[in-house]
Amino acid sequence: MEAKEVFERFSERESFLVIGRSIRRFDALDKALGRAKFTADYVERDALVVKVVRSSLPHALIKSINIDEALKIPGVVAVLTARDIPGENQIGYALPDQPLLNDVKVHYVGDPIALVCAENEEAAFKGVEAVEVEYEELQAVYTIDEALSEDAPRIHGGEDNIAVTTRVRKGDIEEGFSKAEAIVEDIYETPYQEHMYIEPEAAYAIPEGHNKVTVIGTMQSPFLVREKIAGILGWSLNQVRVIQALTGGAFGGKDDMGPLVCAKAALAAVKLRRPAALIFDRDESAAYSVKRYPARIRYRSGADAEGRMTAAEVDITVDCGAYANRAPFWLWRMTAHAAGPYEVEAVHVDGKAVYTNKVFGGSFRGFGDVAMHFAVESQMDMLAEKLGLDPLEFRLKNVLRPGSRTTTNQLLDHSVGMEECLRGVAEASDWWNRRRRVKRTEGKLRGLGVACAHHGISTSRGAPDWSAASLILNEDGTFTYRTGICELGQGSQFGHAKIVAEILGAPLESIRVEGPDTDSTPNARPTHGSRGLMLGGSAAADAALRLRSRMVKVAAEMLGCDEGDVELRDGRAYDRRRPENSVSFRELAREMYIRGVSPAAYGFYAPPRRYFDPETGLGVAYPVYTFAATVAEVEVDPETGEVKVVEVWPSMDVGRAIDPLLIEGQIHGAIAQGLGFALTENLIVEEGRVLNPNFKDYVIPSSMDMPRVSNVIIVEKPYRHSAFGAKGVGEPAIISIVSAIANAVYHATGIRFRTLPITAERLYRALRGEKP
Amino acid sequence: MKIRFKLNGREIEAEVEPNTLLLNLLREHLHLTGAKYGCGIGECGACTVLLDGEPILSCLTLAVEVDGREITTIEGLARDGELHPLQRAFLEEGAVQCGFCTPGMILTAKALLDENPNPSEEEIREYLKGNLCRCTGYVNIVKAVKRAAEEMAR
Repeated sequence: MEAKEVFERFSERESFLVIGRSIRRFDALDKALGRAKFTADYVERDALVVKVVRSSLPHALIKSINIDEALKIPGVVAVLTARDIPGENQIGYALPDQPLLNDVKVHYVGDPIALVCAENEEAAFKGVEAVEVEYEELQAVYTIDEALSEDAPRIHGGEDNIAVTTRVRKGDIEEGFSKAEAIVEDIYETPYQEHMYIEPEAAYAIPEGHNKVTVIGTMQSPFLVREKIAGILGWSLNQVRVIQALTGGAFGGKDDMGPLVCAKAALAAVKLRRPAALIFDRDESAAYSVKRYPARIRYRSGADAEGRMTAAEVDITVDCGAYANRAPFWLWRMTAHAAGPYEVEAVHVDGKAVYTNKVFGGSFRGFGDVAMHFAVESQMDMLAEKLGLDPLEFRLKNVLRPGSRTTTNQLLDHSVGMEECLRGVAEASDWWNRRRRVKRTEGKLRGLGVACAHHGISTSRGAPDWSAASLILNEDGTFTYRTGICELGQGSQFGHAKIVAEILGAPLESIRVEGPDTDSTPNARPTHGSRGLMLGGSAAADAALRLRSRMVKVAAEMLGCDEGDVELRDGRAYDRRRPENSVSFRELAREMYIRGVSPAAYGFYAPPRRYFDPETGLGVAYPVYTFAATVAEVEVDPETGEVKVVEVWPSMDVGRAIDPLLIEGQIHGAIAQGLGFALTENLIVEEGRVLNPNFKDYVIPSSMDMPRVSNVIIVEKPYRHSAFGAKGVGEPAIISIVSAIANAVYHATGIRFRTLPITAERLYRALRGEKP
Repeated sequence: MKIRFKLNGREIEAEVEPNTLLLNLLREHLHLTGAKYGCGIGECGACTVLLDGEPILSCLTLAVEVDGREITTIEGLARDGELHPLQRAFLEEGAVQCGFCTPGMILTAKALLDENPNPSEEEIREYLKGNLCRCTGYVNIVKAVKRAAEEMAR
């Protein structure tokens, strides 16, 4: 059944049973009791401890790997290297450039070479120390410019260090700039950001019988993990069972790290026929796991005398680090969002992603759109100033509206709430008055900034996308719902349960949600791209609708009424004409089993297809976009250069709010992460080495750093092709906060920062005349 | 060596090495996995438990140090099937997301409320600053602690 029908049939209701209400999510209870189990909590004491031998050099050929001394250490059971891999030693995501264990060459400090498997942690650490690797050191490349220079060493062979390129050619760029009254041009740079989820990477693998392995791990994409493990082992998909344990924060990072960590544990378990656990230390996680890709953006844009955008010319370079990983997708997302949430007639974008000998980049909430919007929103402020317009007014003139076309010329015919979001935060913050009012208070400088955001939902580059779920009506009238969408903290699974409850008229507490197990549902695709609720929830709706029609059919026969008169509510089926005539779901379930009417359903959902012309980049980049706006007020201490974010006013067009409390939670968390990215999170990498892989030196916001957060303004512009019209929320939340803070710092100090983070030291120096 | 201590209200005995960390004793030997490893060097607060009512970092505490004393872990907070008001407030306010920092956060908040039953928002933020959370932005955590304080005052 088309998910469109779900929307049509159910969204016309005047009131919902559970949709749109803030309800206590049911996974929170185990978490508050200390009973929730994360990967490390499953590991038995006699499991093998796996530790990774890593490259100490950024770029080198491996001459030899000597494991003899390591094997002599009491407690060391085995040391596995590339030659122990029975399948293909390849785990690259978008390009086949990444071995699971390197035996030819290393590409960054931390590149995996061998796995020490031991009876305990102490022996494992000693074993790692004892493995001798002989290298022939190669010249290393650390920056984008070095990587692109003529004589740069080729990190992955080939003609140059460019992993992938993109382009968009929309409209006549010369004509666009010729119409412009004001033109601004600048270069923006955004750095690495480390996820710093509180739970480090972890996997626990258990060999099962003949050629089967079960892997429990912290991850975002169980089906990708399965595929990668099967490739490493040379097995088929059904020989690998992957179970996602509750995941202690992920933010994109565990989408990429899940396969890398799980495949290593699986290899050890299968080779040694013993359960094996690989759990990262904090410094290992912070130094060697994927990070937000650094990017450099050259941006030139113009607007006419009326304040209408006429042209944008954008050149993007993404620093991949050692492997391409997600870079083709990351770069495409930046490219397709390059004009920001504004209608711009002529847009030219060129993008490239280049290799360097540093820790590789990867998925992180916002996926390229944080950097892209930082450039766009800085440009918008500068153009407004040049035209003598208020920055919020200037944005209002240009925002995407129904009927507008995006960077890739995609027509947005509905579900476009950008203007409402922007007007919402303008009103809530009393923008025009406050902007005039904020001034020096007791020697401090105050400023107010605004920024907008849009974020396409689902996977980039038009890759096929779908989701799946299963739903069982048990004999006692309760339901078992299983999804392939992961619980990472965001509560998406609870959103699914609410969708099922709404469609079936089932009490929420009668539905139990089980997490991903690749042996139990068809591939549900990853929990990324803010797709968990929109795609996963639509698959849930599909399953519920299928089951519903059977329930209604049997109920009509039991009640002796027309199917059209059957109403499902509060766990009972009623005859709408005679409400005293009803049966409980327990009676109904029993009858379905006896009559041989299937009490179980699989749900499946695919959003409308996307496509683009590779020559021009034009086409439908994403099925739908989530929109957001943020106003932020900051206070700058000129004596220290410290920026304090005083208050934040957030808004978002979520399509349909399935649960306002969950949305609020995503936005609050993203404000903290965005604030960290804008101001304090500063990963120091020197000659390829991460120097501050810990919480003390890589500063994420604490409870003391958070601003006052005004009520979240939720705009609802339902999307026609998803269950109840919901759109993704998790990623869009982090995009506008970063630029709103940077723009507020400019308003307070007159200093525009084109690189992040705006640390106290940098601002202190800038206030004293140094170039920011 | 043998140590005796009170764990969640019950006297227990355990055989430990001189260098066994309290976190590992709880997790690996006593099967109480509510306290978490997040950093191992006392920077994140996920391993927080209460020692004689005071929050401590169990990843930096030797098991032998608790000999003769009293430890409360998250598993010991709900009594007779009744949630502690802090646990209830965390559920109601949406203060729980991934849940990894939650046990340490709730125990630290309990120590605060035992010390200061009516803390201001500033005092709550100050007291919780050693417990890092990457999901919630602390907004609803602070609300939950306030709510629990109000409920406990009734």
